[in-house]
Amino acid sequence: MSQAVASKGAIRQDSKAAHIIGQIVVYVVLIAIALFTLIPFVWMLSASLKLDREVFSYPIRWIPETFHWENYSLIWTKVPMLTYAKNTAIVAVAVTFIQTLTSSFAAYAFAKLHFKGRDVLFMAYIGTIAVPWQAYMLPQFILMRSMGLYDRLLAIMVLQAFSAFGVFLMRQFYQNIPTELCEAARIDGLSEYGIWFKIMLPLSKAAIATLVIFTFVGTWNDYMGPMIYLTHDANKTIQVGLRRFIQENSSDYHLIMAASVVSLIPVSIVFLALQKYFIEGIATSGLKG
Amino acid sequence: MTYFPGDPKPKKRMSRLERKNTLIAYSFLAPNFIGFAVFTLVPVVLSVLMSFSEWKGGALSSMKFMGLANYANIFSTTRVGMTMADKGFLAGIAYFFNRVDLGIALKNTVFYTVVTVPLTLVCSVALAIALNKSVRGAVGFRAVFFFPYVASMVAICVCWNFMLMKDGPINQLIMALGINFNKSWTADNTMAMWSIILVSVWRNMGYYMVIYLAALQGIPRELYEAATVDGANKWQQFTNITLPQLSPTTFFASVMLMISCFKIYDTVAIMTGGGPGRATKMLVTYIYDTAFVSYEYGTASAIAMILLVIVLAVTIVQFSMEKKFAND
Amino acid sequence: MKKLLCLALVALMALSMAAIASAEGTTVSIATWDVGTTPYLKAQKDAYEASHPDVTIEYIDLASQDYPTKAAAMLAANDTTDIFMVKEILDLHNWNEAGYVENLNDYIASSNYDLSGFVGMDANYAIDGNQVALPFRSDFWVLFYNKDIFDAAGVEYPTNDMSWEEYKELAIKLTDAEKGIYGTHYHTWLSAVVNHSVADGVNTLIDGEYSDLAYFYQLVLDLEDAGACMAYPELKASGLHYSGAFGNGNIAMMPMGYWYVATMISSIADGTYDVGNWGIVAMPTKDDVAAGSTFGNLTGVAINAKSANKDAAWDYIAWLCGPEGSAATASTGSRPAWVSDDVADVMASVEGFPTDDASKAALLPTYVGVEIPGTDKSADISTALNEVHTEIMTRNLTVEEGIDEMNLRVAEILAK
Repeated sequence: MSQAVASKGAIRQDSKAAHIIGQIVVYVVLIAIALFTLIPFVWMLSASLKLDREVFSYPIRWIPETFHWENYSLIWTKVPMLTYAKNTAIVAVAVTFIQTLTSSFAAYAFAKLHFKGRDVLFMAYIGTIAVPWQAYMLPQFILMRSMGLYDRLLAIMVLQAFSAFGVFLMRQFYQNIPTELCEAARIDGLSEYGIWFKIMLPLSKAAIATLVIFTFVGTWNDYMGPMIYLTHDANKTIQVGLRRFIQENSSDYHLIMAASVVSLIPVSIVFLALQKYFIEGIATSGLKG
Repeated sequence: MTYFPGDPKPKKRMSRLERKNTLIAYSFLAPNFIGFAVFTLVPVVLSVLMSFSEWKGGALSSMKFMGLANYANIFSTTRVGMTMADKGFLAGIAYFFNRVDLGIALKNTVFYTVVTVPLTLVCSVALAIALNKSVRGAVGFRAVFFFPYVASMVAICVCWNFMLMKDGPINQLIMALGINFNKSWTADNTMAMWSIILVSVWRNMGYYMVIYLAALQGIPRELYEAATVDGANKWQQFTNITLPQLSPTTFFASVMLMISCFKIYDTVAIMTGGGPGRATKMLVTYIYDTAFVSYEYGTASAIAMILLVIVLAVTIVQFSMEKKFAND
Repeated sequence: MKKLLCLALVALMALSMAAIASAEGTTVSIATWDVGTTPYLKAQKDAYEASHPDVTIEYIDLASQDYPTKAAAMLAANDTTDIFMVKEILDLHNWNEAGYVENLNDYIASSNYDLSGFVGMDANYAIDGNQVALPFRSDFWVLFYNKDIFDAAGVEYPTNDMSWEEYKELAIKLTDAEKGIYGTHYHTWLSAVVNHSVADGVNTLIDGEYSDLAYFYQLVLDLEDAGACMAYPELKASGLHYSGAFGNGNIAMMPMGYWYVATMISSIADGTYDVGNWGIVAMPTKDDVAAGSTFGNLTGVAINAKSANKDAAWDYIAWLCGPEGSAATASTGSRPAWVSDDVADVMASVEGFPTDDASKAALLPTYVGVEIPGTDKSADISTALNEVHTEIMTRNLTVEEGIDEMNLRVAEILAK
């Protein structure tokens, strides 16, 4: 609705006024939703600066009586959070790299190439997304163990890196790119690999950025996988580490909140860094062939 | 994985070109497919087999074939509480959805999915279009809306439980609007489900907004330029260009969202634990309990297969609609 | 494919066994939870290693919340960790049915192991005549109270022979809304609210008849209505942990398992709690039940059927559950399953334990019922009861409706 007004030509006076009013409405709504979105985070931040027994004091006290900044240093000393963070970063980067590369490769075949069994294979991909992990977690665990992948970061990497999700996502984006572009390139003598590299990749920056963000965030926040596969402290990840603050006879929710706030930072940086790819449109010159 | 004899258009032989193209296609697929097959497809197939077997852990070869026993088990309606007069087909159906674990979990999961999917999609498309280009501060807004997806689930659900408490901020807002409700949402049989829906929409709308934002970048600009020249207004441009152009993405988003709704687990496990009573018991909560509280892995797999069948059926319908729409 | 897998497995096992053999002495590995914050684990390890210099105890620290899931996955996948701690009897029952755990009968017979110190509690770990685990901790429920609140209100301390009615009056009397003081506190668990019904030695939670729970539900709901304890819905939604609640210093009494004694002692010592003087007394009882009766649960150890060091593992658990291990456990304020006057003396002499006679007397209950006995239906029954429990406590069902629903749900399970 707020698409940029493309033509710089004569804009009538009344439509300009309507445009401004429209903009104001959009802002008011956006700000309202943004506030709604942020309220729980305000609570999280406030809880991260309290003592454990104050976290659940009720009614809600938004501003802590005293600010317990030491919570933010406690999380590093009470559990080996630095090790966990390092492990999580290694896994998240590796998974993101493999996932993005192999899925964009496979998605090209699904979206632009014709071959036998394409639809069935694609359905197999989607079918596995539909099966909840809890149902095949044990057979998978047993297989992976027999391959010597128990209690190793590598297990989490291979578990996450070949998910059907990435292939599905990229295929849908490639579907958007006009097939004529590929055909023109084929006539120009480009191989399929060349088309993928020289045409599809550059045109799908936004899609790749999306996949990178999702994969990174998904891996960063994964809990069940690391919980089942990683056992020794040296191998654990942040989400598993977070749960160490919830114990049988006590819980440190103030530390959970502090650690959650900290673990928001790297993911937010990834998101902000990749934002710029959502602003560039497709280079129109490439389309006029 | 190669030949499908039942392929609709049987040709005498593959031409050399076709064979070459197929090989090229496989080379594109291989890096992902090998990992996918080993780490996901094989375990999923095993779990399909397990749904017809009894297995108590240990070696996978110790699976004992049981036929449909696991399925009979979850559908069984012993109807202890019913009088003889009640025993009709319809009464049986009602009993299944009101008293049998599987029936209740199915009912809850379908209700949750049917409400959450359209709500989330509408919110995310609206946000994506509003933030696509011209709004000042778009970068900040996008980050804010994506934030819920980034935060860790434990922390988020604890926060929301507080927000939705008796005398909490959300209830205060509702009361200010003149609605008389002051009870903790998660403690109320009806509102508990809505609290799960609210948190899901809140968490996912930023996620699908990002997908739509990326898809909006893919719409060629000259389509709009041409439409402007033709005198189409903004709304016409939206319905005639934006929506159709977004259709592959909408297909993706609706399938993924539907699947993730059917698979909801974390939010329920942390916020309500499936309660009060069985008010928010979902299919995956039920699967988890069956597998890891009762150790009936075969039965757990059987429940998962029901999920698989539903999701595949809906996906195939959506998929064929997409094909018609996009005309490949 | 299968052959390859088997080969890979064999190779792996050979490798891991070689690794164990090459190390000096024996290592006994134990799957457990909260290693860093559970003082008795360290005390047990230190004591055993001191008396058995050739053995090393290695803990595998799993998240407490997900211990049953993770342990199930490990056991299902032929993990070779020697010993698994038993958190719930229900888990042990499943483990036994799946053949994950070793039958200890032969070990007990060949080493003439004396089970008398368990005063019958070992029976809870015996399934079809097979002893599949031994208990090393037994946590029966007692009433914790904050002496400072009683003193400030000028009310006599609770005694070891209170009735539930006296307790209820006391809770209401001590409540002071202006000062924000609650007479009592119930954690959200089913066990905290109604498990007291099994203290009479007749009722159990798996008998399919739940009218005996009505009294306890009504008691708690009345206390809520009187403002004498925090309301369940808000407690559940906020996730407030009972330790933090009692530690805030505004709760006069709290029924809780004995394990909380160790937490009280350490939390007061390091200053996280706002509680000065405290004590414990036996749980109140109904009029027709002997004073000092209560319920409790056990924490035990089982030997993994896939363990490569079963004899070493047996030596360790025999020591751990017997008098010596129990002394180590008791020295940290936790209550071992092995009962003897010596052990009670150790417990009472732990620094930080209340010094009054009533607290010491509360260490020796007259009867301890099992929280929930293990059968093949127990897991399903427990799930159903817990679901109805939330409905009664959030008042979506009245007590009567809830009891009827419990009876019906369990009848459905038993009929399967």
